[in-house]
Amino acid sequence: MSVGFIGAGQLAHALVKGFAAAGVIATQKITASSPDMDLPTVSGLRRMGVNLTTSNKETVKRSDVLFLAVKPHIIPFVLDEVGPDIEDRHLIVSCAAGVTISSIEKKLQQYREAPKVMRCMTNTPVVVREGATVYATGTHAEVEDGRLLEQLMASVGFCTEVEEDLIDAVTGLSGSGPAYAFTAVDALADGGVKMGLPRRLAVRLGAQALLGAARMLLDSEQHPGQLKDNVCSPGGATIHALHVMESGGFRSLLINAVEASCIRTRELQFLADQEKISAAAIKKTTLDKVLQQPGVSGAGVTVRTGISIFNSDSPPRQKNS
Amino acid sequence: MEPSEVKIGFIGAGNMAFGITKGILLSGGVLPRNVTVSAPSSNNLGRFQELGAAVTHSNTDAVAASRLIFLAVKPHLVPAILREVAPHVTREHVVVSVAAGVTIATLEELLPPESVVLRLMPNLPCMVQEGALLFSRGSRAGPGEGALLKTLLGPCGLVEEGPESWIDAHTGLSGSGVAFVYLFAEALADGGVKMGMPSALAQRIAAQTVLGAGRLLRDSGRHPAQLRSDVCTPGGTTIYGLHALELGGLRAAVMGAVEAATERARELGRK
Repeated sequence: MSVGFIGAGQLAHALVKGFAAAGVIATQKITASSPDMDLPTVSGLRRMGVNLTTSNKETVKRSDVLFLAVKPHIIPFVLDEVGPDIEDRHLIVSCAAGVTISSIEKKLQQYREAPKVMRCMTNTPVVVREGATVYATGTHAEVEDGRLLEQLMASVGFCTEVEEDLIDAVTGLSGSGPAYAFTAVDALADGGVKMGLPRRLAVRLGAQALLGAARMLLDSEQHPGQLKDNVCSPGGATIHALHVMESGGFRSLLINAVEASCIRTRELQFLADQEKISAAAIKKTTLDKVLQQPGVSGAGVTVRTGISIFNSDSPPRQKNS
Repeated sequence: MEPSEVKIGFIGAGNMAFGITKGILLSGGVLPRNVTVSAPSSNNLGRFQELGAAVTHSNTDAVAASRLIFLAVKPHLVPAILREVAPHVTREHVVVSVAAGVTIATLEELLPPESVVLRLMPNLPCMVQEGALLFSRGSRAGPGEGALLKTLLGPCGLVEEGPESWIDAHTGLSGSGVAFVYLFAEALADGGVKMGMPSALAQRIAAQTVLGAGRLLRDSGRHPAQLRSDVCTPGGTTIYGLHALELGGLRAAVMGAVEAATERARELGRK
């Protein structure tokens, strides 16, 4: 089985690194494509033994499982480009936040009757094989396809299937989650430094505290509230600190964060479904490079608001200059 | 001493004394005629008489008639009462003070040396036998007296023993805590009224909600966080409401309330 990545950025790099460490697939069987070969992740992938190309079509030809690892607004261009090259064997796995299975299937059905599509939401810690991944199964994907994807993603962390309508919530929680944790550790380290610790040690200890606590929780049947109690000796330091946190509305902040991320994901999806993408949302350089690829025509490609990028029937089409 | 044989006296006939009396008599473990209650006026003595207890206006008579004496007067009256009854307190007596803020040291100082003293902090729901009571043993009170008190008071609610340093925290948590719960219940009801329910109904429902949740909490043996999680269906009404509570900083406010009440109890105890 070979695996391809359309897009050679952070996500592709993290997944490949994780897969390689897990030994679940040989890197020579992995192909990744990107219009921009100057990205640091590209050289990282190359160093790991991945086949690199500027041609998405080549990636498709060389793969059985095809990960769409580009930014959500690039997806329609990619689908238009590689649509004709999709074969029966291909399993298309979109990792793009807010891009629905039905939008992908609709696009690909112009070229193929029953495209096998799955959607997954993962997170960056796949790079250290501690990812949190969920996936939803498309109309034409089989049970074995789900199992295959699950096998791949379970090699780099936790993986489970969900209904597609939960994916935005997952994005808010574990998709963005590592960022919350990085922020927390940074701040904890600041606290340590304020109280006299050298920075490096403070960061190390902060990260280890979070890691250890997470491990305890995952290994325990107990509610996190109970585990919290176990740490708080009466009148001790920890309960004093917790009171400070409660006074700052710590819990509600986290609830708000997850909610904000989830809502924003839905907003972006809504915008995409409305088929309105602001020009600012697309990096011009990337778009230019995409348009330079062999096989990519300006037809069906536009970034003007109000003009469809998912609906290839809409006139007039203009090449973006 | 066998609970059924114990002669029990109360100095003070207020709500706390009544709640405890009711509790110990309801269990049937103590005979009403073995209970003597003393108070300066007859106002409050009627309900004790209805239970079958003996009543008097003489504190010293109550002490003489009893082995276990509950000191259930307002804290500022304690020194005077103890000075009055001290000559009649023997080594056989067990004195249990229910007075808030009066330390064991103070009690032992005002009573004859070798006196057996315990300090008890009950709370208002003792009146309906759903109290939370914490007691602490003085220097001459042994495990036997502790066990006796625990057995006697069992029908009054939850009875636990602890070091004296916990009693102020108990006051803040459970003594004053009852008022915090009333405040919460009132606010629940106000929420109901805001959302269209008549006030009287909302208050009855709020009360029952608190009661029902309290029983489930006590009897399930599960952590409150677990019970809370169990009620929260994904994307449901409860989690939305809880979010509002967290935004309001309810947890910190409640912790602060217990802290403030406890600090005040400590302060009063120092005076």
